[in-house]
Amino acid sequence: MAVKISSQSMWTWMFQRLSGLFLGFFLVTHLNVHHLFHDITSAGLISFETVRTNLASSGFWKVYYFLFVPFIVFHALNGLWAIIADYRMPGTLSILIKTAFWIFAAALIITGFFTLKNLF
Amino acid sequence: MSNNKLQETIRDAALNKNIGSFSYWLHRLTGIGLAVYLLMHTFVLSSAISGETAFNERMGAVQNPFFAVLEIFLIAGVFIHMLNGLRITLADFFGWSRMHKSIFWIIAIIFFALMIITILLIWPKLNPANYPVGG
Repeated sequence: MAVKISSQSMWTWMFQRLSGLFLGFFLVTHLNVHHLFHDITSAGLISFETVRTNLASSGFWKVYYFLFVPFIVFHALNGLWAIIADYRMPGTLSILIKTAFWIFAAALIITGFFTLKNLF
Repeated sequence: MSNNKLQETIRDAALNKNIGSFSYWLHRLTGIGLAVYLLMHTFVLSSAISGETAFNERMGAVQNPFFAVLEIFLIAGVFIHMLNGLRITLADFFGWSRMHKSIFWIIAIIFFALMIITILLIWPKLNPANYPVGG
């Protein structure tokens, strides 16, 4: 009994796990630098200047954040899509939501890149 | 999403009171929460596009004890989703699905250890006296 399985879902399933592993590593570093080990009693509030100095400290941060943005946007929206897909929407509604997600993803990535451009 | 499907989902959750079902819901709820946070995070940081003054103003608005409490919940969400995601990946890629319950208890211990460290590190941010006066 041959059942045709959409190969697209297989790749999104696979990439959801791979991006997850990647984000695990990246988020731990990101949390440590900007959320956990930023001591306000000695370093003060996080400001434009402190972020710029921080990011300028190594060329690595540039590669890091420009990869981080598309990976996290994919992981978040693909994850939300997986939840929605579980409810088996009617075809037209499903296409509508999917299109909205693609536009939203593009908007988030573009906003993220322009934000980063101003912080580097 | 018809109303019936949602009711079915809730009934499913009530009927399957086991670790697999529990972590499935935890993963979905933290996932939705983190996606919402990603949007708010982008909104706050995107003020950098308008320049330094706008960025400092918006960043200043979210750096206070109230947001520090929310930050603890955020980091808890990140760690739950991260550790449980690792559990899912291990079960999927290495066929460890028969061990998923033991892995759940291991990640639960790691989670509580990480949360103790997190709360200790966030602690100074919970005290208004530690914030610089006038930004």
